Order: sequence, then structure tokens, then C-alpha cells
Amino acid sequence: MSEKDTMIRLEGIKKRFRTKAGELEVLHGVNADIKKGEVFGIIGLSGAGKSTLVRCINLLERPTAGKVWLDGVELTALPEKELREQRRHMGMIFQQFHLLMQRTALENVCFPMEISGVPKAQAKTKALELLELVGLSDRTDSYPAQLSGGQKQRVAIARALATEPKVLLCDEATSALDPNTTAGVLSLLKDINERLGITIVVITHEMSVIQEICDRVAIIDGGLIAEEGSVEEIFRAPKTKIGQELVMHEGSNREAYTGKLPYCYRLVFNGGKENEPVLGEMMIETTGVVNILAANTRTIDGQDFGQMVVQFPEEKELREKMIQYLRERGVVVEEVEYV
Amino acid sequence: MFKEGMLALVGQGFIETIYMTVISTVLAYVIGLPLGLILVVTDKDGIHPISWLNKLLGLIVNFFRSVPFLILLIALMPFTKAIVGTVIGSKAAIVGLWVAATPFVARMVESSLKEVEVGVIEAAQSMGASPFQIMTKVLLPEAKPSLLVGAAISITTILGYSAMAGIVGAGGLGAIAINYGYYRGQNDIMYVMVVLLAIIVLVFQELGMRISKHTDRRL
Ligand SMILES: Nc1ncnc2c1ncn2[C@@H]1O[C@H](COP(=O)(O)OP(=O)(O)OP(=O)(O)O)[C@@H](O)[C@H]1O
Ligand SMILES: [Mg+2]
Repeated sequence: MSEKDTMIRLEGIKKRFRTKAGELEVLHGVNADIKKGEVFGIIGLSGAGKSTLVRCINLLERPTAGKVWLDGVELTALPEKELREQRRHMGMIFQQFHLLMQRTALENVCFPMEISGVPKAQAKTKALELLELVGLSDRTDSYPAQLSGGQKQRVAIARALATEPKVLLCDEATSALDPNTTAGVLSLLKDINERLGITIVVITHEMSVIQEICDRVAIIDGGLIAEEGSVEEIFRAPKTKIGQELVMHEGSNREAYTGKLPYCYRLVFNGGKENEPVLGEMMIETTGVVNILAANTRTIDGQDFGQMVVQFPEEKELREKMIQYLRERGVVVEEVEYV
Repeated sequence: MFKEGMLALVGQGFIETIYMTVISTVLAYVIGLPLGLILVVTDKDGIHPISWLNKLLGLIVNFFRSVPFLILLIALMPFTKAIVGTVIGSKAAIVGLWVAATPFVARMVESSLKEVEVGVIEAAQSMGASPFQIMTKVLLPEAKPSLLVGAAISITTILGYSAMAGIVGAGGLGAIAINYGYYRGQNDIMYVMVVLLAIIVLVFQELGMRISKHTDRRL
């Protein structure tokens, strides 16, 4: 990838916090290249350091070590005043929206323009346009307290777009919303990415969010990027344990199982549901029975993927025969740890 | 019970009390509001931490807060004399009230501003807002309802101080209560003053709360 295709470059980002218990290193040297115009996902379990990492991108949090570039400008080398200028190229939205409670939706969207000195009338015109873009033309004079969570997030998105940023940073932007509202907000983000060409960085702990809108994804674990690749790659064959965990537990009730189950495998069916009967055929053919632990279907880039986590029988010979049968029919089978 | 001219006396006391209270509250805010703002901004978790300044101002505020009001009033007499030329009367009392109320107001302002969610401040920072813009466009407007409640509490507290100042020669309802009620044993007059003062407190309190509620957009 050439220099000029890169929107955000992170180089050796380390972040240590000083706490009462001593120094805590949360990020151990994160590298990432986020391309212009892509939707880049960062996924990880709670406490993995996702929020810290995204806050290091716009330097709300100063990295202890490492460099951050935005469109060729090294942000970590800038003095405060110039950094503030650069921040106008990056919009940010948050899980808890963080709107100004004493301002209307319209006034909230005007806020960043007020700060950067855009004339009032011009700011208002632009704000009305943006509120229309996010589908809130009829709520311009409402205060945040009068809006639903999804509407508040839409105001926050409009506000983040007001300075015509190159990048939109989203930290768990849909985590406080119900599934329907989440879908609406995600499709709005995708739309913004496609129509305005804005690079989007999505932080989430939900694989479904990644699958919905991301082009590429990085999995963060223990303060490091564990693996990175296209969403399809990661979903089809996660290489790391954390990757498998995130992909597998999507939509399943992990509390239902206690302890580690033996002989667990993850099956991926290309083409989704239609190909799942192969499992039944296999069971008839080999007379071996599997125990289905989790299953779902996902559409990634218009392609259906069905995935299942199953437990095979203990008997080694039978188990290998069954796996052989599936593999011959194009099913991806990999042993996993299912806890 | 009420002698000739008593009503006029009470009327004048009422006006003096309101005058002292309102003027010293306004003056206390002139210094106390910026002071509270600086305390919040320079805090170690603030938007522009300056540790030594924060500690120094905190120390000064705490010092003045810890001196009992009457003692402060007496200790300030040379200063008062230098400023207004006298140590008795409403004007003189205003100086003492001002000095005593400023640190109180600063702490009220500080606690109101600290109620503003950190996330909202960070959102403003992420848009490139400067510390000054955050003060004027985020902290103060977002804290407005709470600041108004604080103002209502401050004004009633200062009213209480003003009544106490009656002991050392300030005018107002407090002075009447002390002079007639305490020194001359006319209890009825004292009770009338107490009721009047209570009514003024209630009115200020209620007014402040209502304005705050009315302007708060959080519903
Ligand atoms: N200001 C801070 N001071 C001390 N420790 C912090 C600070 N901010 C974050 N941490 C610690 O850093 C670690 C990572 O936090 P972070 O908020 O980045 O996680 P996250 O991946 O966003 O988690 P979540 O999904 O729960 O939001 C946690 O252990 C957290 O306690
Ligand atoms: Mg987080």
C-alpha cells in the first residue's frame, strides 16, 4: 500500500496509565494502516484497549510512545493549536452520544462550526442539510432529552460531519441501541462512507457490527493487534484463538456452557443455508451424530456464510471419517476450543 | 406594640437588607464565578491542568471559608475603612459580605461546573475546541441550571450573613432584630423580623429554583 492511500497510520502506539496500583500498560505497540475511503473495524473484548486506541488516534489520549499520522500529517508532532486544527478533520461519535443537553439538535450540529468560526447563517444552512441527511429534518428544534437513543446518535453523526471531516471515529456507536435502531444507524454510516467517501473507523465488541459495515478488521487483544485482514478472511478462518472466540460466540449464549467441551469444531458453509443439509447427509452416511452448539448465517459482501459450532463424537475413527466427509464437500472444518 | 414610626423603620430595614444582599451577591459572583471556573479548569482532571495555581487558589478559598463570619467581619474592619471610609452601615457591611461570600460562591460554581459530563467536554475537544471555547460554550451553558440553583442558595446564605452583620453595626432587618429584640427585650419586634427574613429567604429560593427549572432543557 502506498503512502498516499493511507488515511491513518499508527506506528508503535503504546499507552501507559498511572494508577494507584502502579503503571498499567494498556497498549503495547499497536501498528495499523487505515486506507482512504475504507470502513475499518477494531474489535476486541471489553478492556482490550479499544477505546484507548481510538482516543489515541485523535490524541484525546496522548500515546506514551509511538506516532500517529492523519493523511500524511504527523499529529503526534504538532503543538496544541495545530492539533486542534487537525482534529477538525476527524469527527467522533460515542456510545453515550455526548450531545450538549442545553442546545437543540440544530444548535448541536452548529456547535463545531461555531468553534471553527463558520459564519452563523452558513452554519445553519449546513446544519439543516446534515440533519436532513441523517433523517431528522422534523426534529431540528428538539432538545436531546426529547429524542430517542437512535435519534440522538443521528444528531451526533450530523454534528461529527459538520466540519466536513476526512475521518469519522465511532467508539461503540451502536452499543447503547436496540437491534433495529442499530441496523438503521449502521446503514446510515455505510451510506455516509459510500456517498461522502469519508473513512470510518468502527470500534466495537460485536462481530455483527463488523460484518454489517466493515471492509477490513483488526482484532485487538491484550493491547496488541492479534490479527488483521478483510472481514471475509477473518470470518472464514480466524487464525488466532481470540479471533475464533469473537467469530464463534456471535449470537450464541455462552453462559449456557460451563467448562471446556471436548471435540468441538467450527464448520463454515460457503453459500449459507442451502449447503447446510450436507451436515444431515453426513450424519446419515456415517451414522455419527453431532451436537450443535451454535449456528448462524451472515452475509458478507453479498455472499452468504453459514457457520456452526458442533461437538463430534468421542470415538476417534468415526470422528475423522465425519470430518473427512464434510471437508470433501467444501465445508471448512477446524477444531476450536469452546468454553 | 408597634410604636409610631416603627413601620417606616422596618421598611427601611427591609430595603437595606435587600440592597446589601443583592449587591454583595453580585460582587461575590464577579470574583467567585471566574474563580470557580479557574478551579475547575486547572484541576488535575480539568481541561487545562495547572497544579500550583489550583492548589494555591484552593488554599486561599479554604482559608477564608474557615474563618467564622463575624470574626472575618471584625478582622476586615481596617480594610473596610480603607475602601468605604467607615466600618458601620450597609455600605461597610457589603465589603465584609463580599469577602466572606466570594469563596463560598467559588465553591458553589465549582461544584456546578463539575456536574458537566466529562464525555461532553471530550466531544468538544475532539472537534478542536480550545480550553476557552470549552469554558464559554460548554461548561457555563451546560451548567446553567445548576449555576442558577447555586445562585439561589448563595443569595439566601448571604442574606443570613447580612442579618448577622447587624451585630457589628450593619443596617437592615438583622440590625433591627438585634437592637430592638435583643438589647431592648422587645421580643415581638424580633419575631416579626425573623418571619420577614424567612419570607425573603423563601422567595429568593423559590424564584431561583423556578428560573432554573424553567431554563433547563433536560426536562
Ligand atoms: N484513564 C485511565 N486510567 C487508568 N486506566 C485506564 C484509563 N483508561 C482506560 N484504562 C484501562 O485500560 C484498559 C483498556 O480500557 P479501554 O477503555 O480502552 O477498553 P475497551 O476495549 O474500550 O473496553 P470496553 O469494551 O469495555 O469499552 C482497561 O483495563 C482500563 O481499566
Ligand atoms: Mg470502550
